[in-house]
Amino acid sequence: MTQAPRDWGSASEIPELAGAVAIAGVGEADHTQASGRSAREISAQAVERALADAGVAPHEVDGILYSGGFGDAFDSRAFHAHFGTSHEIWQSPRGGATVQAATAPAAAAEALRAGQARCVLNSFAVSWATQRSQMVGGPGQFHAEERYKASLEVPFGWFPQPVYFATIARRHMIEFGTRPEQLGAIAVSARRHANLHPGAVMREKKLSLADYLRRPMLVDPLRVEDCCLISDGGGAYLMTTPERARDLRRPPVLVAGVGEGRSGTGLYWSQQPAFTSTPQVFSAPAAFAMAGITPGEVDVLALYDPFTIVSLMQIEDMGFCAKGEGGAFVEGASLDFDGGSLPLNTHGGLLSHAYVLGISHVIELVRQLRGEAAAQVPGAGIGVYGGYTGHMASTLVLRRA
Amino acid sequence: MKTADFPLPDTAWEGTRGFWEAAAREQLAIPRCADCGRYQWYPRERCRACGGGELPWTAVSGRGTLFSWAVVRRALVPAFAEKLPLLTALVALAEDSAVRVVTNLVECEPEALRAELPMRVVFRPLVFPNLARRVIAPMFTPAH
Repeated sequence: MTQAPRDWGSASEIPELAGAVAIAGVGEADHTQASGRSAREISAQAVERALADAGVAPHEVDGILYSGGFGDAFDSRAFHAHFGTSHEIWQSPRGGATVQAATAPAAAAEALRAGQARCVLNSFAVSWATQRSQMVGGPGQFHAEERYKASLEVPFGWFPQPVYFATIARRHMIEFGTRPEQLGAIAVSARRHANLHPGAVMREKKLSLADYLRRPMLVDPLRVEDCCLISDGGGAYLMTTPERARDLRRPPVLVAGVGEGRSGTGLYWSQQPAFTSTPQVFSAPAAFAMAGITPGEVDVLALYDPFTIVSLMQIEDMGFCAKGEGGAFVEGASLDFDGGSLPLNTHGGLLSHAYVLGISHVIELVRQLRGEAAAQVPGAGIGVYGGYTGHMASTLVLRRA
Repeated sequence: MKTADFPLPDTAWEGTRGFWEAAAREQLAIPRCADCGRYQWYPRERCRACGGGELPWTAVSGRGTLFSWAVVRRALVPAFAEKLPLLTALVALAEDSAVRVVTNLVECEPEALRAELPMRVVFRPLVFPNLARRVIAPMFTPAH
């Protein structure tokens, strides 16, 4: 096998932000199957809950981060329309979920330092289950419309995402001997955590490894259980300075490090030289260095997990084990909250909690570091989120105050 | 929005017109830098290696090796429902293994596939229900 060159991607420059920002409140909307609600309505519910959690009134929110890449985002106009406020609000499209669920705190830190805002909200919601029931939108649409993909991939059925990631999983199996039951271990652990989480879409549905292995292939080598849910839902978190956060209702959680990495081949994953890697290779070391930690110090991990193989690759690429050893690493109960060597997605993740694209991953880490999670990791002091969106990855290091 | 004849390619679109015109002549063509000779995939305006701006579509041998594949067992997109199980794959070209062509594998069984299996190009029509238009496309089969 040919070794990919080390320069297949790069890390973004992110200013040092330790001590600049804390998460003071979190809120989740109801995560459901098709609800008939718009993303903006769902965001509003999450935002109300985040403000109540922090004990902050709507007129005190003077900064808003929203997702620039998704329509129907909860921007300042939507905020004012919902809360009946009219005060001045600084806002930026550098927020939302996926990669931005990790990098929004870096954008907030800039605004806090510059005095543009004192209390910055980041929110995200999707109504993809509702959209899918109406046959519009959803995660595949963007790829179907990108012109090179529409010409060179879609006609051959290399579309949508489950096909990409089945191809990546197959190559991981080829290169490293990764086995289906190792992917299954990730799905089973996520489901076990979701079964314990009151807001999880899959709360009532159990999944054992034997169940997993009996399930039919969707896109071989992936089963339905290797793929994320499609659901309606959303979340929000409120950021301010650590000093101010200490005066609010809840114990603050400190942002210790942020990283971001990207692949040089962009959206054309079929051509990425390091086909079985993610840009966490570039992102995670930068975030860990900023936070002054090593992977071994992480108590609880939350990874953007659209497919089991994406968690497996990120575990390797973030340095929790050597490249290619992820399969052996995740076997057994290694990822479980109660005694696993690396508790992962203790809310159930995109696989079993809800497909809200990572915003709930960060919220779950905040709850872990406050000691109030449903599947609580005893004494959790450092939590890390790994964001991913194919051509980009991000890393957020959080610390108990 | 998806085009009216999704999932067929827009063969007239400038970005990939050379690929589909070559396929119609039963050739596999990839842009190649006139200055340094490097193949570029996907098409780019300038050469990734030397920055050269002249990248003519160049016929390749159609030989390669199987890089990876997926077997679609359940239709995720209704247009492919009649093609199941669908073998969709990446083939690394003999001329430059960094060039991976997205393709379908034909005239073979999923069980017979293994990594780095030698492959050769064949040309078959892309046919979809309810679409009168057909497009000749490069597909691959094991090279015996």
